[in-house]
Amino acid sequence: MINFILMVNKQGQTRLAQYFQFLSVKERMTLEGELIRKCLSRSETQCSFLEHRGYKIIYRRYASLYFIIGMDLEEENEMAYLEFIHNLVETLDKYFENVCELDIMFNIEKAHYILEEMVMNGQIVETNKTQVLAPIHVLDKAKDE
Amino acid sequence: MFHLSQMDQIFLKSLADVVRTSRTTSQYDKLTFTTQTIADIKNELQSRQESVRYQALLKLFFLAMEGNNIRWAEFQIINLMGSGDFQLKLGAQLAAHLVIDNQSQGLIMVTNVFIKEFKSSHIECSSTLSCLGTIANKDLSDSLLSHVLKLTTNTKPLIRKKAIAVLSKIFTINPLNIPGNLEMVIQQLQKETNISVLACGISLFCSIMKVAPKLYPLFLSIVYDQISKQKSNWLLIKLVRISNKLISLEPRFQGKLIEHYTRLLNQTNSKSLQYELIYSIMRHFKNHSQLYESAGDILKQFLNHQDPNLRCLGLECLTHISTSVGLMEFQEQILESFKKSDYFSKLQILQLFKDFTNQNNFQTVIEFFLKYSDMESNDKIIESLIFIITKDKFINVDDPEKLLLVYIPIIAQKIDSIDNAIRFKELLFELLTRVPGLKVYSDQLCNQILQTYATQSDSLQGPTLNIVKRHTQLKYSLNHREIIFKSLIMIVGESVKLLKLEALTNIIKFLEQLNILNCYESSLSDIDSLLFKIYIQIIKSDPENQIIPQMEQLIKNIYTKLHNISIVKISFFYESLIQIKSRDQLQQLYNLFEEDLPPINLEAQKLIKPPEGLDINKSFQIDISEIEKIKNTNSDYIEQKQLIQQQQQIEQNQGEQQDQNSEIQIKVENEEELKPLNNKIDQNANKIFIINRDEELPPGINQDDINKFKEEE
Repeated sequence: MINFILMVNKQGQTRLAQYFQFLSVKERMTLEGELIRKCLSRSETQCSFLEHRGYKIIYRRYASLYFIIGMDLEEENEMAYLEFIHNLVETLDKYFENVCELDIMFNIEKAHYILEEMVMNGQIVETNKTQVLAPIHVLDKAKDE
Repeated sequence: MFHLSQMDQIFLKSLADVVRTSRTTSQYDKLTFTTQTIADIKNELQSRQESVRYQALLKLFFLAMEGNNIRWAEFQIINLMGSGDFQLKLGAQLAAHLVIDNQSQGLIMVTNVFIKEFKSSHIECSSTLSCLGTIANKDLSDSLLSHVLKLTTNTKPLIRKKAIAVLSKIFTINPLNIPGNLEMVIQQLQKETNISVLACGISLFCSIMKVAPKLYPLFLSIVYDQISKQKSNWLLIKLVRISNKLISLEPRFQGKLIEHYTRLLNQTNSKSLQYELIYSIMRHFKNHSQLYESAGDILKQFLNHQDPNLRCLGLECLTHISTSVGLMEFQEQILESFKKSDYFSKLQILQLFKDFTNQNNFQTVIEFFLKYSDMESNDKIIESLIFIITKDKFINVDDPEKLLLVYIPIIAQKIDSIDNAIRFKELLFELLTRVPGLKVYSDQLCNQILQTYATQSDSLQGPTLNIVKRHTQLKYSLNHREIIFKSLIMIVGESVKLLKLEALTNIIKFLEQLNILNCYESSLSDIDSLLFKIYIQIIKSDPENQIIPQMEQLIKNIYTKLHNISIVKISFFYESLIQIKSRDQLQQLYNLFEEDLPPINLEAQKLIKPPEGLDINKSFQIDISEIEKIKNTNSDYIEQKQLIQQQQQIEQNQGEQQDQNSEIQIKVENEEELKPLNNKIDQNANKIFIINRDEELPPGINQDDINKFKEEE
């Protein structure tokens, strides 16, 4: 089960955080700070998997943004979650057209909505980009009208 | 209700304004900015205009991402969930997980809101289901269970998918809801064709297996059915994962999967699916050689891959091969992968070898890691090697002599931390205690290791361990080399009686040449006691006084190098011994050194006067009749006790006799069986160092070894 999904920039500023288990604000800030420091200290020759505070962490860097997933230790397939991160980025890229950090900052509710369509209750429920973006296109159409 | 005027609306800050201001605000003004923004948001949330409230919600989102506590907005957000405007409702539902937890009081208000939303359009219903999946607690899930179950039969796959996903949370929170409801869901899933819905169904089964694993027969057929016909990689990964869990509960299921696993392994190019399959096969399919070999080939590709993620996963997979025989197959690939791995992967590999090294690959492993240690991982490598050597009382070591003379000096040279120096010291002591015969090599070992330290005397600086001796108020520091030096000196000192005269003279000559003695201030007392022991032994071994004068000169040279004042005080005794010695004094010293100290030295007692007023002939007890009385009552008890003890002794003897008889019988039977084998063994085999792995170690030196060496001398 996924416990949290984070998008954090190199300066340690969180651009998107979705937690599937409730943590207090202080715990979240501590966790996010520690994670980004760990990710920044790793080189490109090192693998994208590590363990931290009882979570299995999978991360991937896209330009200045780190996409970080925290899972239960008993979960096995890190490769699948690494590919899911790429799938998520591709979906965001498809919607925002050349997505960047600012797109996520200024359209935070849409980024959250796309993520919620893909992950529910810590489980991946949808990976098809068309299916994920269909509801949000309907909303955009209704808003334009 | 607060109502913004038209003028106010012009100055209303949107999310974009807040983001821009936040980025340009300095760190010192951040708090002011945040406080002001929160105050604005509180006002805007009470506005009648939905656009204003929506902007306030977006700004609240942003502040939450920045690390600000927005739990004060719980009531407002729950209120917004019931709004007529879908955009506002959606925003509130997305923000719900930031403010609501299991214990929130506001969850009670949400029930009717959700029931109303379930009857709305499919987009609104799906977003409501997503929100429910995030914030559901026990009460909410019990109230809404029937509604969610109805939604699993909805015509829209989006609704069905989300309803099943929510059910997995409801069933996890309250497993009592499973009986009766699960069967209904399974019936629907059997007719289901949409991949997303099926994937959610498999996730539901995974959740149920965590809380109620005994219900697995209900969904076993669906899992098998889907694994035989599905082509979506995401769904197949989930199916293989759940099959892994099902095999441990139902081993017969394993046989049915062989064909499908083989097909998938040969057809798929997806690395994540391959990894899931390999992981499952390595754990459960060891008996199926063809499938196991195919998985092994792909695993070897992972281990040799350029991508560090695949190498890491390959190593992760190997930890689940529980036997060392299984690991041996991949040893070559693992060691190759070690050379190009990062620090984290190297630690994984070291852990593998710590668990699975055996006598067969012990030498290969030790030699490889000593050759390929680098600065970053040296500490961990040495720690792992010491662990492998000492594991289970040296179970991996078949040649202790080679270990002591070849590998241990190299390990000593590579040690660069205090923790490892202490481990090394313990390793040496344990090895020499379990194999006492190796002590004859202690002088060679000492020379080999200390020679390298002498040549590298400039690098004696390093991390130190501060030790404060309470009784002497002495404070000194030990670095890792000094810890090893002290341990070697102590070992040589313990082995003095086993060493030949030539070896003893070599040690003194070596110490005399060593130019680092002055650096080891805290070891001076150890050096002192070593010289004393060697000197006594030389005197014993050289009755004709041929080399003693030469040795005395060398010892004096060593002492002149040691300028420490405390050593001068201690060594005064030894120096005076050398200068003003007589044979009689030395003989008394031998006796004192040789024999065990008796508990009470009668000669010493004579010199100690009893305290004044104490009559040592007077009894402590005043009333003698009382003593006699106690004595008489006790005597009967004592007699009875003696009788009981005698009886117990007789019974014990009888039992022992019976055991002995049975042992003799078994021995005779074994001897007859072993006769043909024994005839093949060489009766006059060369001496082999045997490791004593008994629980209680022999104290001190083994007398048998001493006697043997005496005969050899």
